Parts: sequence; structure tokens; C-alpha cells
Amino acid sequence: MSLKRLLSDRQIWVGLALIFILSIVLGVASHPRLIKRFLAGEFRQAFILKEDFPQLAFISLSEAEEVWSGQKAVFVDSRSREEFNRGHIPGAISIPLEDLKNGQEDLLTRIFDSPEIVIYCEGGDCQASLNLARILDSRGFKKLKIFLGGWAEWMQSGLPVETNAEE
Amino acid sequence: MLKNRYVLLAFRLIVGGVFIWAGVSKIADPLSFAHNVRNYQLVGQTLSFLTAIFLPWVELIAGLWLIVGLYPKSSALLISCLLFFFIVLVAITMARGLNVDCGCFGTFSRRADIWLIAEDSLWLALSLVLLFSPANDFCLLKRESIKA
Repeated sequence: MSLKRLLSDRQIWVGLALIFILSIVLGVASHPRLIKRFLAGEFRQAFILKEDFPQLAFISLSEAEEVWSGQKAVFVDSRSREEFNRGHIPGAISIPLEDLKNGQEDLLTRIFDSPEIVIYCEGGDCQASLNLARILDSRGFKKLKIFLGGWAEWMQSGLPVETNAEE
Repeated sequence: MLKNRYVLLAFRLIVGGVFIWAGVSKIADPLSFAHNVRNYQLVGQTLSFLTAIFLPWVELIAGLWLIVGLYPKSSALLISCLLFFFIVLVAITMARGLNVDCGCFGTFSRRADIWLIAEDSLWLALSLVLLFSPANDFCLLKRESIKA
């Protein structure tokens, strides 16, 4: 049977349409609350339920700067060690997401006593800070802030930077 | 192509079963799946959310219909297209140097790597056999016109 003959079969398209229509109906019917919350503006920064992460917050550049200059929290850089060494927010601690996922649990020892933690990654579309926040939350770190603008925004704003501080 | 009705039925059970499992495991926790989709860094929040709400149902229905034989050709075509898309997606992700959980089976997720491409290729091969073989046995919807 050739592909051309298959695709000219009306029945195939009827079946495909039915699958899509049914999926839309069942998708809406199975998660009405989530869809409502999304339409109300939730989940635009991260796909997490507020009730599961009550203390997690997203902060802007100005808020990050305020927290940083007031030394109110420890900054955690979730990018790779190489990226960290090339430049990072002064005073930040390097906890590369990949290294932690690969079992380097000792990376966490430096933030055990931190009352509050600000996590950032490259900025733009990067997801490392969010993924790291999920892991840290599961390890008992609850007071987490995510600076979504990340390294890119920090650097572009002309704020102080630090290089190779750890090496 | 293949004409042995029992082999074809076995293929339907395997491919359909994989897709039913893929769908069910994701329907249970759409936000985690949305997060996985977002991790691929190809689409934004809204598209990730819509994918997480609807794609698992597409997988589940296509898998189910492939097994029971309701529009089996439509299901095989859809599943083949999805698998092809997944393979390209994982290849692109690897080429970009991203290290992400594939999000394939809910919490039973694994890394999007070369082994995932191999696995998807196997399912794609079985699915293509089903697409291009006569499918009239063990079907809810019997049709004469679609014989090879």
C-alpha cells in the first residue's frame, strides 16, 4: 500500500480528526481547574502550584539588586562551573545543576545555614534555576527566590561582577 | 508488507501499549509534563501548557484505538508522525547540548539521549509496518476498501 493511496483515503482523515477532537474534549474535561488557573494568569513563569511551593518567589533585577546589596540572601549560580568561573554575581556560590544531578551532594553544604537563597541561571530561556529550585525544595530548602533575568540581565545592567573567585 | 495477522496483532499491542502508558502516566500530572516540555527550550509557557493538557490524550486515544482496531490506520499514521517528531526533537536537543529529562513516561522519565532515539526508532519501525500492512483482523471497525 503506497503512502499516496493511504493519504487519499478519506477514512484516515476522519479518524485523525476524531482523535484530535476527542483529545481536546477530554483534555479540557480532565483538567478544568488547571486550565482556569492558567487563563487567570498562573503558570506564566513556572509550572508549579503555589500551594506546593508557598515560599518560592520570582524576583526582578531591582529586587535582586536590593537583596544582594543588603546581603539578605545567599546567591546561588546554577550554571556550569566554567560559566561561573568566566563571571558571576559577586559572592554567589556555584552549584551547577548538572553536577548536583550527577550526585555531588557535598555542593549543598555551603548553603545549609542560609536563611534565604536566590537562584539564577543564564537568563533568557534558561531553566536551570527552576530545576535547581525544585531539587533544593525537595531537600528542605524552602525560602527560595528565583531571579529569572539571570546572569545576562545582571551583566547588562552594569552591576558589579566577579570572575574566578572560587578557583 | 507483513501479512501474518498474529505478528501484526502483536505489533499493535506493543506500540499501542507503549502509547497508552505514555499517555496515562502524563495525564496524572500535567504540570510536571509541561515543565518537561518547557525544559526543551523550544516553545514558551503557553504552548508547553497546551501540549501538556492535550498531547497525553492524543497518545492515549491513538494507542487505544490502534489496539482495539478503531481507525487503526489513522492511529498508526499519527503515532508514526509523533515518533518521527520525537526523534527529531531529541536529536536537536542533543545537538544543542541540552541535558533534559525526556518527559516520556511521567515520573518514570529518563534522559533524552541516543538510547531514546534508538527506542523511538524501534517503535517507529513497528508503527510503519502497521501503517503499510493490511489491517482488517481483530478490528472493531472492519473495512474492505483498505486492503493492500
